[in-house]
Amino acid sequence: MKHHAIKVEKQGLKVTQAADIKDSQLHLKADAVVVGSGAGGAIAAYELAKAGKTVVVLEAGPYITSDKFPEMLAVAMGTLYQDHGGQTNSAGDISVLQGACVGGSTVVNAALCFRTPDYYLKLWAKEFGLTNLTPAVMKPIFEKVERNLHIKTVGPQETSPGALLIGQGMDKLGYPQGKARRNIKDCAMTGFCFSGCTTDRKQSMLVTYLPWAVAHGAVIHSDTRVTELLSKDGKAVGVKGEIIDPATGRKKADIQVDAPLVVLAAGPIQTPLLLLKSGLANSSGQVGKNFACHPSMSVTAEFLHEVRDFHGATHSLYMDQNTLPDKGGYILLNAIQEPVEASFQAEPGTGKPYVAYMSGYKNTIRLISLIHDQNVGQVSWKDGQKDISYFVDDQDFESMKKGLIATAKILFASGAQRLYLPTTHVASIDRVEDVEKVIGGLKNEPARYKYTSFHPQGTCRMGRDPKKTVVNPHGETHDVKNLYVVDASLLPTSIGYNPSETVYALAHYVCEQMIKARA
Amino acid sequence: MHLDTSSPLTSPLNQALKIVGRLSRRDFMAFAGAAVASVGAASVAQAQAPALKSINAAEADIFRRVAEVVLPVGGSPLAPWTPEVLLGTLDAALLGTMPPHVLAGLKGGLQYFNEGPVAQHGKRFTALDDATATAFLDAWGDAKEVPQRALASGLKKLVQLSYWANPASWAPLEYEGPISKRSGLTSLGNAPLPTR
Repeated sequence: MKHHAIKVEKQGLKVTQAADIKDSQLHLKADAVVVGSGAGGAIAAYELAKAGKTVVVLEAGPYITSDKFPEMLAVAMGTLYQDHGGQTNSAGDISVLQGACVGGSTVVNAALCFRTPDYYLKLWAKEFGLTNLTPAVMKPIFEKVERNLHIKTVGPQETSPGALLIGQGMDKLGYPQGKARRNIKDCAMTGFCFSGCTTDRKQSMLVTYLPWAVAHGAVIHSDTRVTELLSKDGKAVGVKGEIIDPATGRKKADIQVDAPLVVLAAGPIQTPLLLLKSGLANSSGQVGKNFACHPSMSVTAEFLHEVRDFHGATHSLYMDQNTLPDKGGYILLNAIQEPVEASFQAEPGTGKPYVAYMSGYKNTIRLISLIHDQNVGQVSWKDGQKDISYFVDDQDFESMKKGLIATAKILFASGAQRLYLPTTHVASIDRVEDVEKVIGGLKNEPARYKYTSFHPQGTCRMGRDPKKTVVNPHGETHDVKNLYVVDASLLPTSIGYNPSETVYALAHYVCEQMIKARA
Repeated sequence: MHLDTSSPLTSPLNQALKIVGRLSRRDFMAFAGAAVASVGAASVAQAQAPALKSINAAEADIFRRVAEVVLPVGGSPLAPWTPEVLLGTLDAALLGTMPPHVLAGLKGGLQYFNEGPVAQHGKRFTALDDATATAFLDAWGDAKEVPQRALASGLKKLVQLSYWANPASWAPLEYEGPISKRSGLTSLGNAPLPTR
């Protein structure tokens, strides 16, 4: 590649959208087709295009330019999220949030980055034969993505009124203050990460790997849902799909892409669904199984004084002293919360108590407890619809309770007067002395708690044993040659930390293997 | 932990499933979690002139009554609301974007919910006085039966989101809403190619 000839557009992306399609049939040929344009797909598109391959990226979601990002979560849910923000587990008590737009979840995440802890790399080597993913091998890859995505520790000014209070509480109780590392450049501190960064400070795929891939010749189609993976003689040969007009929901055209390399990056829910629908790569019976999602709960704290935790760094502070499974299995994260989200996270009581609670919104902050969970769920088709069968495991619920107890004690130490728990029943705590009794008494029941998950993972496990895993240590499916996976489906276990940097790094690693195999 | 699928037909869970007829348990449960606002700014404005497409008049009555009980803003600093605007937002932004099987589950659940107080109070939810309706919602939020908890929580969430999705509701909170354009923040645009 002659790098001097490569120019990145200053703004925006060249994307073929449904509105641009005039014919009812499209038949394309490429060296590689990438399904999905989020963390894994964008990196694969860039690395393959840079290596001289012709690349077509197919994204099911729409292309929304950042100047259209609304800074209103309610609106963003409708335009940028999977199922308009309505994706849940089968019990309906865990909101499973994923981006569904060009750039995927990287557009709507809070940009929090953690390297995969060595603990998990060693565990994966021991239990899944991933001896290739050693800390020494992964270190330069982490360094690379950190350079590329401008991943830096927050500066002293990158905080929020709530984070400052929580930090005081942590100090009083002797908890270490973790300073967030984020892929954000010159953060404007609006607190709207979950609605997309309208001024392109967040270094999502939309402003990094995708424009870089396009500069190297990659072609991106939005509004294009892949419906079938094609294979011949045990090798991937392309995909079929449909181009849907997002305005009407109607099919505008059929599309087929012939390519000797198929890269799946549709995310840990759509990737297994696509494999299952296509009847591929499932000799292990493991496709869609081992789903984990890092369930999280927000505790809302009410202060006597105004806090006005309206804007600032969406996440800036964390506490991971007890995050590894043998230490407790939870991580605590502060987060800005806009009124729409605050409106359903707490249960102060129906009617007047609720009105009083929301009237005091400017006096409230929240602290999130997120758990490392067992891979006990399954993504599958049921009656023609996707089904995310996942219930919080009893052991994991005990981790959540430990996390909630630490959360509550920190919030009281921060000066909170009352805490509200995210339950369906009326639940508040007025004294730190009652924390262990109230939270300790919670029982693990479906539809009892208001969980949120931003981290689905684990549905096409990577590993050496083709009887127990879907994808080999190089990212290629055990069963179908030239069919690779580069999204969070790969993770053999839940990792307890925000997985975005793990996905970035694994995608880079798998791309290196793909390119080496074709050198 | 798993849902008990073998409970006798007389249990409230299976009564609910009986009422929702051919709908699967999954559909019935999932609607509660699907209650996340997806309203566009234009949709909020359009909600001033409601023409409900996803629910019929009887279903709208149930939602209206839930909203009256959940959002009694009279005498508080919170902004007043009208059923027309709130139900318009609910219909256009939330119910209108639900997959058909989830919406069907919701409709079945709504009927089950409305009939819920009959055994104890001799009246449907829509006919309960304010105090009884409030107590009923809190009781179902703490019920032993999963569908009752899911419905109480889910229906409240739907009307809460429909109210707070509207920017007009934010002023009493002193929350300013979007700020980037107002503050003159400019886009940094695309990042340059990596140099190594």
